[in-house]
Amino acid sequence: MKQQPIMIKKFSLTRLHVGLRAILKQQPTLTKKFSFTPYLFLAPALLVIAVFIFYPIVAVVYYSFTDYNIVTPPVWVGLRNYQQLLQDDVFWQALKNSFIYLLVTPILIFLCIILAIIVNRKLPGINAFRALYYIPVISGSVAVGISWRLMLDTNGLLNSLLLSLDLIKEPIQWLAEPRFSLPIAMLLTTWMGLGYYMMVFLAGLQNISEELYDAAMIDGCNAWQKHWHISLPGLRPQITFVAVISSLAALEVFNEIFILFGPGGGLLNSAVTMVFYLWRQAFRLQNAGMASAIAMVLLVITLAFSIINIRALERGTEEE
Amino acid sequence: MKKLMYVLSVLIIASMILTACGTPPATVAPTAAPQVIEKTVVQTQIVEVTPMPGPNPEAIIEGVESNAEITFWTFWLSPTFDDYIQSTIARFNEAYPGVKVNWEDHQATFQDDLRNAFAAGNAPDVINLSVGEGWVSEYATEGLLLDLDDNVPQEVKDIYFPGLWQEQLVDGKNYQFPWYNFVAVELINTQIYQGVPQVDAEGTITGYTGGAGLKIEDFPKTIDGLPALCKTIKEKTGKLCDIRLTVNDVLAQMTYEGDVKVISDDGTEFTFDSPEAVAWLQMYVDMVKDGTVDKTIIVAEQDRDALNLFISGQAPFYQTGPNLIRLVREQNPGLYGYLAVVPAPVGKSGVAGKGGMGISVNESTQYPNASIALAQFFTSPKSMTEFAKLVPVYPSSPSAYDDPFFSAEPVAIEDSAKPAAKEFISKLADIVPTIPNKADVNQIVLDAVQQALFNGVDPQQALSDAVAEANALLP
Repeated sequence: MKQQPIMIKKFSLTRLHVGLRAILKQQPTLTKKFSFTPYLFLAPALLVIAVFIFYPIVAVVYYSFTDYNIVTPPVWVGLRNYQQLLQDDVFWQALKNSFIYLLVTPILIFLCIILAIIVNRKLPGINAFRALYYIPVISGSVAVGISWRLMLDTNGLLNSLLLSLDLIKEPIQWLAEPRFSLPIAMLLTTWMGLGYYMMVFLAGLQNISEELYDAAMIDGCNAWQKHWHISLPGLRPQITFVAVISSLAALEVFNEIFILFGPGGGLLNSAVTMVFYLWRQAFRLQNAGMASAIAMVLLVITLAFSIINIRALERGTEEE
Repeated sequence: MKKLMYVLSVLIIASMILTACGTPPATVAPTAAPQVIEKTVVQTQIVEVTPMPGPNPEAIIEGVESNAEITFWTFWLSPTFDDYIQSTIARFNEAYPGVKVNWEDHQATFQDDLRNAFAAGNAPDVINLSVGEGWVSEYATEGLLLDLDDNVPQEVKDIYFPGLWQEQLVDGKNYQFPWYNFVAVELINTQIYQGVPQVDAEGTITGYTGGAGLKIEDFPKTIDGLPALCKTIKEKTGKLCDIRLTVNDVLAQMTYEGDVKVISDDGTEFTFDSPEAVAWLQMYVDMVKDGTVDKTIIVAEQDRDALNLFISGQAPFYQTGPNLIRLVREQNPGLYGYLAVVPAPVGKSGVAGKGGMGISVNESTQYPNASIALAQFFTSPKSMTEFAKLVPVYPSSPSAYDDPFFSAEPVAIEDSAKPAAKEFISKLADIVPTIPNKADVNQIVLDAVQQALFNGVDPQQALSDAVAEANALLP
């Protein structure tokens, strides 16, 4: 049985490109009479985009070549910010931490697929179970971060539990141990993302025809083999989608770090990521020029990731 | 009918006879000469009078622009002190009629809001800036604040404690009216520090159990005594000390506590890797190594983190101002009953610290005199005394302490610093020189301190590396 077409296939960039080219080829046959009307309709949206997107992008490019402390006018310094960035140990640590943070993506994909398979059953009360997984998504990162802070506090729930089980002799200061900072933040991000990405995979699973599983059963597949040979290939577009979205989110993580470790970003900058460092330079140290340079570096990295991911997405859909 | 006529006739005759027998009517004797009669006439009249205002004793700034409209930003005072601020503005309007004041209170985003307002060219005319956090020097260095030394008459400057007027000079000029101040005290949780008192049948305390068994009066008078104290508390109770470095201004803490000279006199090089600086850092390194201080607190960005730990009842003591005792009372009334207050230990410099808050005037205000008048009005002895009656903060002018309120015997523990407040406040001074690129330099020093505290780097090495890095930022 052939798999049902999925939404993402319809939005293939390659197809869009081909379609646009076809339209452009037909252009000579179109009427060339100029009219202001469409531009008038577009104007409000274009104005908003120009003010809130195009202008800030251009401004950030400009500021990255200036010494700018927000309160006084920027002064052109050429490439100095970029040169300083290359010599800045904290920047390299932030870059390293951001790449380590990308480990959240495969962990999320793995856990969410398992969860989606578990909740993709017709059991009584399963909807309540699914809703429970979704609660962290709608809880808001600040509320979640604060509750995690309380849990990981020296006198918090985790230490109380470990002490009562005699697993530790004295409380561990979880948030004051540099080696734990990044893993704790990653764990929080993973926990918060579980519900949302699980729903994506669940939708994908429900899109796979039951007949495929029936056929596999007749062929003698066990439960593990069914998911390995049917569910996983069927979820490929969702896996690509989650990989793109969650990796971009991981590169831009800020809230979790700020709430767990405050404006310091963890002892010895142990949880400082690219966006966090950008924020610190801009709003703590008033180095908007340096922050803009970091933003440009981040832009290049995320652009590269996006291109790689979109290529993978296109290849995946074309192979199908 | 005949009978009726008969009765009437008898009555008429009888009445005539009786009238003839009565007293004759009084007659007025004719006067020989005119008499003067004295009569008092009371006449009530309603007259509408428009009183001509006399000189208001509170209006001491001259040349206030008529019809000025000025904006005033405060830091984290609303909603608790809304009534006070509004009533003070109403008094200001009586003293300086015609000036309109638009008051706004900004809180956690105050600094971001203010920077953005300056960048956008619509910064407030009058601004409440923290002296303690170095905000006055930050904005004055950028040329954004009005120089008050040249714009305020000497008799007005003389209202304030000289140390407070001159405490945060930039290029020798003052840019703030000293406002309210705090007396640094040490709040002690006696349950941990001392123990729970054991009382006999007569109500006499026979001893303490469960605590470190320390005496309140033995609390260290200087910073040097803290490591030994924390060690004792950890050994006897397992509790960690709630000590926080001033992470936003580490160099200031070094200066006050370690008597460290942080920059050369000519401002050409940093000097915070001296033996004094290394000794100061070594003290904290030893406490971290001994595990006697809470590591999440010692470099916590927010002072509230440290306060919250104390309020939760998990810390033996905590340095703050008496004004924050109200938070202990509100959030943990059980602990409030076990509080003791002692003076905060002083560092090697012998100076207790800087003042608390100041009020500055925007350099580009349209109404400099009205703005100066408002800033002065809020910091006047009368306004400050009224404020001090609401919350344990202390005025910046000696004459304010003449109010009987300050000499009255303290009742609540919040007021325990009141009798010594005048002397304490008079000695506050900013002994930290102006630091170029202060935020960047502070971050460098903070990173060095963290390396020494948590990464095993030798304090001398950490500070020397930081000096080299900071020197590169000097102009």
